[in-house]
Amino acid sequence: SNSNGKPADYVYFERTTAGFSDDAVPRAKGAQLKLEHFYKVAVDAAIERNQRRVELERKLAADTSMSDERKQRQLQQLGKRESAFLRLRRTKLGLEDFRTVKVIGKGAFGEVRVVQKTDTGKIYAMKTLRKDEMLKKDQLAHVRAERDVLAESNSPWVVQLYYSFQDSAYLYLIMEFLPGGDLMTMLIKYDTFSEDVTRFYIAECVLAIEAVHSLGFIHRDIKPDNILIDKDGHIKLSDFGLSTGFHKQHDSSYYQRLLESANGVASPTTQARNSVMVNAINLTMSSKDQIATWKANRRKLAYSTVGTPDYIAPEIFLQKGYGNECDYWSLGAIMFECLVGYPPFCSESTHETYHKIIQWPNYLMFPDDVHLSREAEDIIRRLITSPDRRLSVDQIKHHPFFYGVNWTGIRNIDAPFIPRLRSITDTSYFPTDELEQVPDEPVGADSAGANKDLAFLGYTFKRFSISSQAF
Amino acid sequence: TPTSPGVAKPLYLCSPFVEAALVKGNFKHIVMLPKYADVMEWVAVNIFDFYQNLNSFYGVLAECCTSQSCPSMCAGPNLNYTWINQDRKSVQLPAPTYIDYVMTWIQNLLDDDNVFPTKSGREFSQTFPSTVKHVYRQLLRVFAHLYYAHYPQILHLRSEPHFNSLFAHFLAFGKEYELLDIKDVKGQPGVPVGIGALWERWKEMGILESPNA
Ligand SMILES: Nc1ncnc2c1ncn2[C@@H]1O[C@H](COP(=O)(O)OP(=O)(O)OP(=O)(O)O)[C@@H](O)[C@H]1O
Repeated sequence: SNSNGKPADYVYFERTTAGFSDDAVPRAKGAQLKLEHFYKVAVDAAIERNQRRVELERKLAADTSMSDERKQRQLQQLGKRESAFLRLRRTKLGLEDFRTVKVIGKGAFGEVRVVQKTDTGKIYAMKTLRKDEMLKKDQLAHVRAERDVLAESNSPWVVQLYYSFQDSAYLYLIMEFLPGGDLMTMLIKYDTFSEDVTRFYIAECVLAIEAVHSLGFIHRDIKPDNILIDKDGHIKLSDFGLSTGFHKQHDSSYYQRLLESANGVASPTTQARNSVMVNAINLTMSSKDQIATWKANRRKLAYSTVGTPDYIAPEIFLQKGYGNECDYWSLGAIMFECLVGYPPFCSESTHETYHKIIQWPNYLMFPDDVHLSREAEDIIRRLITSPDRRLSVDQIKHHPFFYGVNWTGIRNIDAPFIPRLRSITDTSYFPTDELEQVPDEPVGADSAGANKDLAFLGYTFKRFSISSQAF
Repeated sequence: TPTSPGVAKPLYLCSPFVEAALVKGNFKHIVMLPKYADVMEWVAVNIFDFYQNLNSFYGVLAECCTSQSCPSMCAGPNLNYTWINQDRKSVQLPAPTYIDYVMTWIQNLLDDDNVFPTKSGREFSQTFPSTVKHVYRQLLRVFAHLYYAHYPQILHLRSEPHFNSLFAHFLAFGKEYELLDIKDVKGQPGVPVGIGALWERWKEMGILESPNA
């Protein structure tokens, strides 16, 4: 080293991008980001691999009844799974590897299909998301961060994501297929549930929300469409890290505009003075015709890019910050709908719904013609309330409405409705006949657009657990 | 070591660039064969990744690597690699042509399910280890050319920590699985490969340590 503490061969190099083409710098940045992502994933994968191995070795060491030969076989099997996973990383899956069985759902950015992987015959749900729409709506940052965590989760309460790939126009997500449909479809079919049935679904939702929160996430858009039913009739939350619904509703400028237009229609001051107005709306609420209209439009609303704000907590609209308790407001609204037949703030327009949620103390009404137990009404009122008074998850579990619920074993008991399925591709629990105008096969990329959109870097994803099932 | 007068020490051997790294520490954890896993699968997926990553950096540098700037595939003061053509003759090619041949050849191998099997149940062929050694050797030549001829451009684009780590990982992996011939890294007497000195330097710095050491 010389006098200034630098090594003798220390060189000052004048960096300049003069002389490079315009896209050299962004491309260099792109290559750098890709490599950073690559090493991050490589290190994580090594750690996880190690954990899987150590866990199995420990388990086997502790098992005194198993023969050494069988232990050896189990370790070899782990090696096989790890090898299959390494192979999967080299495997390029694309649209051509899947065949559509049926279109089963529609979301804001694309459709959901039941697909069959052509070589293995395995069945999956494939969701398509239009990249340009997602970019326009500024969904990417959220979607990516949340997907990362959910992709890692092994929770039985979250729909598993197995694989994702992309072309220049779409992201494709390959998930486990839950053949029982969703809670929205079930509510459309049954209108209302008994308190016992409601207790089952809401209790499972409490555990699912708790699981999501323990992963460090807030769902923000729990609604019946996102509560899916597995083959045994138990629920899973749809992979909301990708479901993106809440982001568009979460867009603050969108709400700002909504707020302004709502104020234009009826200013809050007029509203507050005019009690007749409140009564009028109350009348609308219990009018069977109006509810029928709402129900008829329910699915259309689910398909639209605006989405339904019916279940979103008021603090989310108000942009003053919120915590994960907002998800329990949504749960209260869903519980209300299960028992009453429509959500508490349902209206003919989303503007009106939004207004009612903000002014919830004036609009939360339990209709006279529906009987609710004291406990049921009480817990709903303790969920649909201001965040500081809302019940915590422990308080919810100890509320008298849930008396007798087995919180640790509920997934193992028989569900109230168990789907009766004739085959692994049975789609009778989905409103497939209502899904017109959806191409049977995904269209894929139209042009040979470059595969260099860095916004979607890191979307391509392969899950370890599937390699053991010969994905 | 004193350098011959008039020849400046290559930038990639100078501080602070020789130490620049995206990945700190040695590569042990990501080079080591996952216990119980198949070594062929491990080598295959790593070759796949090295190819992809090197390709994305070459994609950036390609505009600086033209038949005018690099009329030959040089990698040292007296070293120009030759390509064996279809008539089994050694030919001199401009570096961009040479690299294009290499990358296209490797891409085709990677896409060939007989060489790099992806379908479940399909095995690696007997010739896989020797194929992979060829691949490794050619990838090494691409690295060697980029270091020798394009390092200032890598610096201008602020990519040296990334590129160094990719290459150090490549070297560590190649050494561990005997995919590299030392004489390919260092060159012949009187015909050194530029990156030979880099290899020595990094070994001294301890970043190429064998995972088993
Ligand atoms: N893994 C799955 N298995 C079975 N059905 C599914 C699955 N994922 C989604 N669906 C069906 O497709 C519908 C739409 O899916 P999803 O809610 O994920 O779309 P989305 O684009 O996220 O909609 P939004 O953004 O409005 O929430 C669901 O309501 C459900 O009926």
